[in-house]
Amino acid sequence: MARSPDSGRPGLRGSIAFRLAVGYGVLLAVSMATLSAIVYFGTVGVFEHSIDNKIMTVETHLADAWFRDGRIGLVREIDAQLHDLIDTDTEVVGLVDAKGRILAGNMGRWFGDLPASRELAFGRMERNGAPVSVRLIATRLEDGSRLVVGRDLIELDAIRTVVERALLISAAVSILLAFFGAQIFRSRLEARIGRIRRTTARIAAGELSSRIVVMGNDEFARLGDDINRMLDRIEALMEGVRHVSNSIAHDLRTPLSRVRSRLDRALQASADPHALVADARLAIEDIDSVISLFDKLLQIAALESGVRAGTFERLDLAAIAHDMTELYEAAAEEQGIALHFTGTPTTIRGDRDLLASALASLIDNAIKYGRNGGKVDVEVATVDGAPALTVRDYGQGVPPEDMDKLTRRFYRVDQSRHLPGNGLGLSIVTAITQLHEGTLALRRLEPGFEASMVFPRA
Amino acid sequence: MPNCLVIEDDTETRDYLCSGLRAAGYAVQAETNGEAGNRRLQETRWDVVVLDRMLPGQVDGLGILEQMRARGDGTPVLILSALNSVDERVRGLRAGSDDYLTKPFVMSELLARVENLSRRNSWSREATVLQVADLQLDVRTMRVTRQGTTITLQPREFRLLEYLMRHEGQIVTRTMLLEGVWEYHFDPQTNVIDVQISRLRSKIDKDFSPALIHTVRGAGYVLSAAPTYGPVTR
Repeated sequence: MARSPDSGRPGLRGSIAFRLAVGYGVLLAVSMATLSAIVYFGTVGVFEHSIDNKIMTVETHLADAWFRDGRIGLVREIDAQLHDLIDTDTEVVGLVDAKGRILAGNMGRWFGDLPASRELAFGRMERNGAPVSVRLIATRLEDGSRLVVGRDLIELDAIRTVVERALLISAAVSILLAFFGAQIFRSRLEARIGRIRRTTARIAAGELSSRIVVMGNDEFARLGDDINRMLDRIEALMEGVRHVSNSIAHDLRTPLSRVRSRLDRALQASADPHALVADARLAIEDIDSVISLFDKLLQIAALESGVRAGTFERLDLAAIAHDMTELYEAAAEEQGIALHFTGTPTTIRGDRDLLASALASLIDNAIKYGRNGGKVDVEVATVDGAPALTVRDYGQGVPPEDMDKLTRRFYRVDQSRHLPGNGLGLSIVTAITQLHEGTLALRRLEPGFEASMVFPRA
Repeated sequence: MPNCLVIEDDTETRDYLCSGLRAAGYAVQAETNGEAGNRRLQETRWDVVVLDRMLPGQVDGLGILEQMRARGDGTPVLILSALNSVDERVRGLRAGSDDYLTKPFVMSELLARVENLSRRNSWSREATVLQVADLQLDVRTMRVTRQGTTITLQPREFRLLEYLMRHEGQIVTRTMLLEGVWEYHFDPQTNVIDVQISRLRSKIDKDFSPALIHTVRGAGYVLSAAPTYGPVTR
């Protein structure tokens, strides 16, 4: 049973569209995270770095004052530093004695231990009556006191908060976008696939002529094109099968109804043994023609399945052509046709009997349909490196509108319907040529007709 | 009377084969499966065996044939098969069959081929001078005479006459001629063989009496010194 397209909506995990969308969303999230990290460290990180630099500059400057002028000079310099009107609201400077008393500067009470000597660290400190976080360095001086230089991080915290909030919002927006994008992506994908599936479901239900509507030139359009081409081929094959079965039915009806009427007559006239024998004989002949029809159809089927290639051997095409020309020479002459062979030894891989029967069939056609031409040429030649076996007659030829139907099974040109045959000859020749990986080329000539079996280059 | 063993599982075909072969003068025995057929083959010496390709049971036609040849049993075997493909025919011949015929078959074709096989040992391939009535053919000098008059033949006509003379009194079918003289195996559909025979006739029989080449309706040809050749059972 074919699943209808609506019943076949897959669960989320089974949906390729969903998986693609999730994959796409994850990719988007990862790239957003990377971008955020770059932005974060590019802003907050750079700011932190510049704070550290400023702290170190001030510390070096004050340490110099200590070396130069001792404690008095240092205290003076600290005062100057705090009143230079540069960064005075964020600057923290202080001199702490060995007992932890603040001797100078604007620093407040600090929480925890001061960091080890000459090491930048984060800490907390009381400023204007409230604890704030600071970045600071504490340098131990020779008299046991410590010089503390630092900066209030209020600005950095403000920037950090702004950046973090911006990143958080953008992350939320991007996740939402990825989710809805995935939904849109999925529904569009399913819509495209759904069109194809609805068409295939219609075809499965028997509506063979329906085709996928192809729009644009993307992957789905190309897939649709491919499927349509495949459907065209299937439809043509089905048409061929229908044509063949109609023809079989027709071609069987004629001899079978003849057999039936003959047997009927034989039953009525059973008193006369001669009539009985004659009728039985004719009935057998008719049945033989039915059997030979079946044999030919089976032969075509077997040839088209290609199983016989296993018996291929190297053989001389010209020798076969020579033999067949010789075999048909007398029969051709009776029809007033001179059969003539030209050619040089040409080796191909193939089946001798099959090639001979194909050539016999072509010669037979040429004699039958090229009767008023007076001659038939059989030629083995190498054209552009490809061995070719050609039979040409000089008769009335084939009407142009019939040319492409010649190799169809049971097809017979109207003007030849009175001649014996069943329209399978060229089908078999085509099948034999294709089994040898060759092509059968048919050409109208003035005058006459030419059939050429062209084999692959040796 | 030559004896013939038929191994065939289909009752209808078996009866048809047996009655046809009996009417043609064979002592016929029949078996329906591979095991029984194999036993019968070892009990008696047969002149010719008609063997169905597909048989029920453990051993099929090709199996029987391979066992026969492995035992060194060279009895002529005609394989009868519903499988009509060159591949199958080649497989049959490779397994050691002497001839291969596909179903459905025409009795006259089967009889001609069985006759050919059962007589295989009675005519000699080595004979270099063949004689039928007043017609003489020398294989080495390629000379043909009738009533002392030399007859000129084309090489293929010569081989056709040689084939007919080597099968004197025996029906040869058109496909047998195509196989034996032209060495091709396919159904020529048209009357090419008939035309070749009529050419040969015009050289061998036209100016002489009695006629030696006879047409057997629905079957083929026979070369015989007998003035008329009786109707063939079919």
